[in-house]
Amino acid sequence: MGDYELIAIVGPSGIGKSTLLRILGGFIKPIRGEVRLLGKKIIKPTPKIALIHQAIVTFPWMSALENVKLGLKYRNLPKEEEDKIARKMLEIVGLGGFEDLSPKQMSGGMRQRVAIARALAADPLVLLMDEPFSHLDELTAEGIRQEVYSMIFNKDTTLRGAVLVSHNLDEVVELADRIYVINGSPATVVGEIKVELERPRRSKDPRFQEYLDQLYKLLTPVKKPVVSGDKNE
Amino acid sequence: MNNIYLTLVLATLATTGRVWLTIGLSIVTGWFLGYIAVKNRGFENVYISFIEVFESVPVISFFPVVLIFFIYRIGGYLGIEMAVDFLVFTAVVWNIWVGIYQAYKTIPENFLEVVENYRLGFLRKFTTLYIPYSMPRIAANLIPSFADAFFYITVSEVFSIGTSAYHVFGIGAILAELVSEGRYNLVLIGLGILAFDTTLTTFFLRRFATYTVERYGIDTEIKTYKRGKPRTRYNLRLTNTLTTVKKIASAFLPPKKYYDILAEEKERNYHLREIGYALAFLVVGIVSYGVFTTVKSISAHEWFSLLANTPSMLLGLAVDYARVAIIAIISFVIAIFVGYLLAAHSLAEKIVIPIIQAIAAFPAPAYFPLLFASTYVIVRGIFDPLTNEFYVLLLGFISTFYYVFYSFWLGVKNLPSEYWELMENLNLTFWQKLRKIILPATFPYIVAGISSTINSAWGGLAIGEYWPDIYNGYTLQVRTGYMKDIAVYTDSGNIAFAAWSSFLFGIIVVIYSILFTRKLMDLARKRYIAEEGIYAA
Repeated sequence: MGDYELIAIVGPSGIGKSTLLRILGGFIKPIRGEVRLLGKKIIKPTPKIALIHQAIVTFPWMSALENVKLGLKYRNLPKEEEDKIARKMLEIVGLGGFEDLSPKQMSGGMRQRVAIARALAADPLVLLMDEPFSHLDELTAEGIRQEVYSMIFNKDTTLRGAVLVSHNLDEVVELADRIYVINGSPATVVGEIKVELERPRRSKDPRFQEYLDQLYKLLTPVKKPVVSGDKNE
Repeated sequence: MNNIYLTLVLATLATTGRVWLTIGLSIVTGWFLGYIAVKNRGFENVYISFIEVFESVPVISFFPVVLIFFIYRIGGYLGIEMAVDFLVFTAVVWNIWVGIYQAYKTIPENFLEVVENYRLGFLRKFTTLYIPYSMPRIAANLIPSFADAFFYITVSEVFSIGTSAYHVFGIGAILAELVSEGRYNLVLIGLGILAFDTTLTTFFLRRFATYTVERYGIDTEIKTYKRGKPRTRYNLRLTNTLTTVKKIASAFLPPKKYYDILAEEKERNYHLREIGYALAFLVVGIVSYGVFTTVKSISAHEWFSLLANTPSMLLGLAVDYARVAIIAIISFVIAIFVGYLLAAHSLAEKIVIPIIQAIAAFPAPAYFPLLFASTYVIVRGIFDPLTNEFYVLLLGFISTFYYVFYSFWLGVKNLPSEYWELMENLNLTFWQKLRKIILPATFPYIVAGISSTINSAWGGLAIGEYWPDIYNGYTLQVRTGYMKDIAVYTDSGNIAFAAWSSFLFGIIVVIYSILFTRKLMDLARKRYIAEEGIYAA
């Protein structure tokens, strides 16, 4: 993965995208191969590789600010420092002024922003996003999609790369710098596409459509070879 | 000699039979009453309030009712048999009724709409939807209900009032007789047979629970189970109480031509409503009549004596509350650590949970005299003046620990998997996980567990605070204790005092439940439902 690169992994449902993401995060041990971050082997989950879940995870008994502070606990910082960083992260994700709100008082989109702020507060180098917008309505999802790139890659975050898993092809073309397509059984990488569109990307751009066409081609169901016992066939 | 072994086996079977009879009766009545409750708002309110009140009342409070009604009014072996069965019934029925009611309340709307759509009759609806849907919950409830029933039955099979002793044929009565005769080898064999019986039953119930989830659990049910809320009376009203018909009616104004059909539906529901109200009035009537006849039967002089003694009785109750608090705190602390360790280590969990369940089903009152006999010398050496106190607390603990442990463990197991991943991801320490996430997320389960623990602890105290001839002529008793007072009043045939103490106790426990436990559960429901932290459209 290159610096400040957003990589997307796409593939049909059930192909193992989320499993692959969890292997990258150290949540699941791979049967073969290994994951390395800056040369260091990843054998268990670490805040340096932060995971954003498909189902949006916040803790209803904590305020937005306390939820974000949870990402800082492992660093054992003084309380004032914790508070300062958490507030900054909430500002980055556009939730400045909503620090004291409980997740239950927030919309799905706001909750996902809290989850992103918490992940960023942990000072991660890599962000793993498992279909992060799939539980949001299209308008809200579009709003966050337009901002997410600048939210995660900016001077106030430590992030060096992100991996996005999705089966929403418009989403990956809109966000990704590079797309890996996995398909088949057993699943393999059937294609790699480098998206060279300037940001912000527009779906009506003919080149955007070309990328989509490429993805559709790669994702067409893989035909299994027909095995027949009839030698005349 | 062979006869005594056969007797032990038959007595164990008789006791087990009684347990199943009461559990079976609870299930069948629960199916019908639960159905009426979900169909009729008036009956639902009475039914749920009735369960809420009586679930908080420890079994011991029903004892005077048992004496007055079954022993004196009905009398004979039948009266004693019914008294024993009734006591066990009061130990298991509330939990099972609530479980079935909650299952009915959480039937997905789509299912209800399908049975309404095809206009299935009452029996067809009942057998194709309501009963199957309630099965996983019933099965899950059976393990603690079975343990609870066995706990009470072994001590209920033999009791004395004044100079009269009453007993029915069963392993509890036989073991008590063998202990008093000093035939300890046979006691051990009897306990072995009982242990085999309870372990086998627990094994069977575990298999049955798995089977019912596989056979009757629908996808959403499995999901609900995994992320489920605790089955306690406190979340009864979490679900929408509007019936499907009402929801549909409020959402759509039906076209004119359907009016006739809806009127017909209304006519059908009308009969059910009448039955519901009739049942509700009947229940209220029976309770009022019971109170009226009891008050009337006691003379003014006796009332004066009862009221004059009430303050000293309440002192005993305060001491007992302190005992219950100690038992609850110790149970809670152990439950947190053991529950967390087991939930986090699947192999240990697979081995330890069935063992804990089997031990919990093995009734403490049956083996406690032997435990007492074998440890008395050592315990007296350590606790000397507090030896009896220690044993009473120990009995309270072993008869109740399971409930808070099981509840907490269930809460930890039901934590959304995303929470576990996040805790790992953020490198939280054990204490951070416990304080920030696990304890808050399991808070509703903890409150439910502690509430059950407190109710069961009363059962343990009721048996332990005054146990004549527990071993070799020794009477286990405490200096001050409300449960001891009730036992002594009963034992000396002072029914008026026993009944008054039980009544006061029932009232105080219910007030405590309303003011304390329910407030805690309301708080838990408001802030600490872990599932609400997962947003998935």
